Amino acid sequence: MKNLTIVIFRIFLYGILIAPMVLFMLYAFSERWFFPAPLPTSWTTNIVTRMLNDPRTTSGLFISIGIAMLVSFLSLLIGFPAARTLGLRTFRGRQIAWLIFFLPTVVPPLAVGMGLNILFLRLGWSGTLFGVILAHLVPTLPYTIFTLSGVFSRYDENYEHQALVLGSSRLRIFFTVTLRLVFPGLIVAALFAFLISWSQYLLTLLIGGGKILTLPMLLFSAVSGGNPTSIAALSLLFVAPPVIIIAASARFLVQHGNTIREQY
Amino acid sequence: MAPAILVISLLFGASILFGLAQSFGLMTGTEQETISFEAYRNVFSGQGPAGREFWSSLGFSLWVATASTLLSAIGALTIAIWLSNNKGKSQQTDTLALNWNLAFPHLVWAIALLLFFSQSGLLARFTASLGLIQTPADFPILVKDRSGIGIILDYVTKEIPFLTLIVLAVLRSQAENLDIVAENLGASRWQRLWYITIPQVLPSLMAGSLIIFGFVFSAYEVPAILGVRYPRMLPVLALDFFLNPDLNSRAEGMVISFVITLIVMIVAIISLRGEKEGTQE
Amino acid sequence: MTKIELVELKKTYPGSHQPVLNHLSLEIHSGELVALLGPSGSGKSTILKLITGLESPDEGQILFDGKSILPVAPNKRGAILMFQKAYLFPFLNVEENIGFGLKVQGANPETIRAEVKKMLNLIGLPGVKKRKPSQLSGGEQQRIALARALILQPKSMLLDEPLSSLDTEVRVNLQEAIRRIQQELGITTILVTHDLNEAMGMSDRTALLINGQVAAIDQPMKLFTKPPTQSSARFVGVSTFFKGNLANGVLTTDFGKLSVNTNGHHAESALFAIRPEHIRVQTEPEINTLQGVVTDCMYRGEYIEYQVEIQSLTVRARVPMPAPVIPHGENIYVYFPPEKLFEVSQQ
Repeated sequence: MKNLTIVIFRIFLYGILIAPMVLFMLYAFSERWFFPAPLPTSWTTNIVTRMLNDPRTTSGLFISIGIAMLVSFLSLLIGFPAARTLGLRTFRGRQIAWLIFFLPTVVPPLAVGMGLNILFLRLGWSGTLFGVILAHLVPTLPYTIFTLSGVFSRYDENYEHQALVLGSSRLRIFFTVTLRLVFPGLIVAALFAFLISWSQYLLTLLIGGGKILTLPMLLFSAVSGGNPTSIAALSLLFVAPPVIIIAASARFLVQHGNTIREQY
Repeated sequence: MAPAILVISLLFGASILFGLAQSFGLMTGTEQETISFEAYRNVFSGQGPAGREFWSSLGFSLWVATASTLLSAIGALTIAIWLSNNKGKSQQTDTLALNWNLAFPHLVWAIALLLFFSQSGLLARFTASLGLIQTPADFPILVKDRSGIGIILDYVTKEIPFLTLIVLAVLRSQAENLDIVAENLGASRWQRLWYITIPQVLPSLMAGSLIIFGFVFSAYEVPAILGVRYPRMLPVLALDFFLNPDLNSRAEGMVISFVITLIVMIVAIISLRGEKEGTQE
Repeated sequence: MTKIELVELKKTYPGSHQPVLNHLSLEIHSGELVALLGPSGSGKSTILKLITGLESPDEGQILFDGKSILPVAPNKRGAILMFQKAYLFPFLNVEENIGFGLKVQGANPETIRAEVKKMLNLIGLPGVKKRKPSQLSGGEQQRIALARALILQPKSMLLDEPLSSLDTEVRVNLQEAIRRIQQELGITTILVTHDLNEAMGMSDRTALLINGQVAAIDQPMKLFTKPPTQSSARFVGVSTFFKGNLANGVLTTDFGKLSVNTNGHHAESALFAIRPEHIRVQTEPEINTLQGVVTDCMYRGEYIEYQVEIQSLTVRARVPMPAPVIPHGENIYVYFPPEKLFEVSQQ
């Protein structure tokens, strides 16, 4: 009896997990689907192919990928040394540093975006990729730093000392020892910085000023357009990278999933 | 360390500073050059378009955030306790399954709900083919409804896995042995649940719930997709004012966004306190 | 073969008032194994970190064969440190771990493979080279760490309690292995430990570190039986001290007169000590006995430990088995053999 309920629950749980994908596919590939038919009466790939051939969509896809990758890379580059210091050392002002990184995780992107909007307008960064990337760093950088500093707080520097006394140079130690030891955490941090940037709507809207059209921007305009088929097709495209990323990093997630607290 | 601090404090600090300036009517693109509290007056007075909608929006935001948080917490606690009682090979699979919801950003989850629960959505079609309803209009309004049910539904389904993972982590790391000790001392199943399990997970559950509250209270995407024209949640209202072609209302949008920030900050501080107490035990 | 000299080393960690090392000097002969023994915080590990270059001294010099190594980078010093944990790189297998040092020197793969094989035989673990560190026991891991150090033919080895986390049997086994290999290869070695037996059993000389200075250094047996100062005596297990006026080979204490072996010098205030296993208990008074009351009597396997109160003084005596069990409150006489009482300085 008890076993049965848990089996049913699991079926339900896994059902919910694949439901969005199934739902999007149903709509995206439907040609004729009048109410109250439970399934489309005829199917087509036209909508999806047309979307994939639409230069607006393809450029949106590439801009999104490009921004997210750059943001993720910059977050790691800037965040790594800070995370290491924060995770391994106690120093004067540590609390203040922690607070500086913590505040942007609390203050909503709405407030940050509205504030930066006017500043970037004056600096001429509005509507530029540079401005959007910079704005995306505000939520991703603290996230990267906290994930990595969690990794470093469990990190044992003696591995590095051991390599040093065995004759390794500092540079070599960084690449052959340090990076390899923190690799899983690094992957998780990079992927989630990517995802946070990937699904960012507000900051792109407020800084991009309608000139930088990432996928979330297109998705929002599709939603206000109200055509379920094109909404679903765009959603499929939008959700593909996160789904692939989460599936690929499943192994790391089981170990590091508990540190993921960021919402996006 | 230094580059990260520089980047964050410059961007973040500047955004707050410029936001403040705008809320006082400066740099909004109008000719105004002196500090004015007009926007604050307009928002808090309860009169005029900004004021009237502000108070109802605040109430609506509080309702949605509170309901989402409570339902998520109750759901997560139940599922986590239940899952931890049923151990076995599927433990890792469960963790994975719960993590899977990370693959669907809020934006896309809201769209999925829209397609599924709307009056012409998949659920309505199933109901109709079962003969329970005849036309789309017979189906209850579950999304884009005036009481925020669609929004709450979105957050609850998305946050239950998130919170469940947090509670499960605590349960799996420590609660087990204490549970055995309590059983050995003669506590019944319900007594163990009430006296041992729940007090142990409570600090993390509280901290996690407050994170959710703060997020729901300040997020834009979900209410923008699943909400109605009136009442609107505060972030939607703030952005609408901010992007209004009438430059005078920018300041009002900024004021509303500061109100959101302030409330979220208070919640975050409470959450941090709770977490600290939790870890000291 | 390298002689190591530590000259007037001083080191204070930031944020602390007390120096960990306070003008410490120590000379380790070529090929010698010196054990550093001392309470925690006495600066034992700091010395090793200074020699390897993981820390720098505030003052003083470190010389290898008379040449300062302070300007030399930590990875070029040829002083290899082994920690309490093996710190095998978890992402490398045994062979790659042992070969790590040669690889960073740019040795060719053939040489590395041959050397690794030699090392695995030396440490008595042939046939594990493809395993990952996580598949090895704690003792095996430390052996691999030892091989990883030895493959570089280091000038010196610095062992920071490498065995303290191991089970007794494995530990004794490894103590013997390390000592054998160290003597075979003649590597100048410093062993930091808080285990008296380990220091005694493995070292050519043992140095006692107290308050950042060398309180005593000598061959283990001499240090054990005749520690020079009161604090070092306490550290090697001496708990009975007599203070008094010394004249004509007789020490006049508050508890009575004791004859002692001296070279005939006199002192207003002299301090004598005796090891617990040299004290005897008996029922009859004799010369050099003091009367006392038994307050405790504990069976310890190889000996019985009596706790006797002689007025305000508590004396512990260890008598090897077979020895009688004496009930509490019994009046007995404690015998202090004159030739076993030795003078210590009052530090």
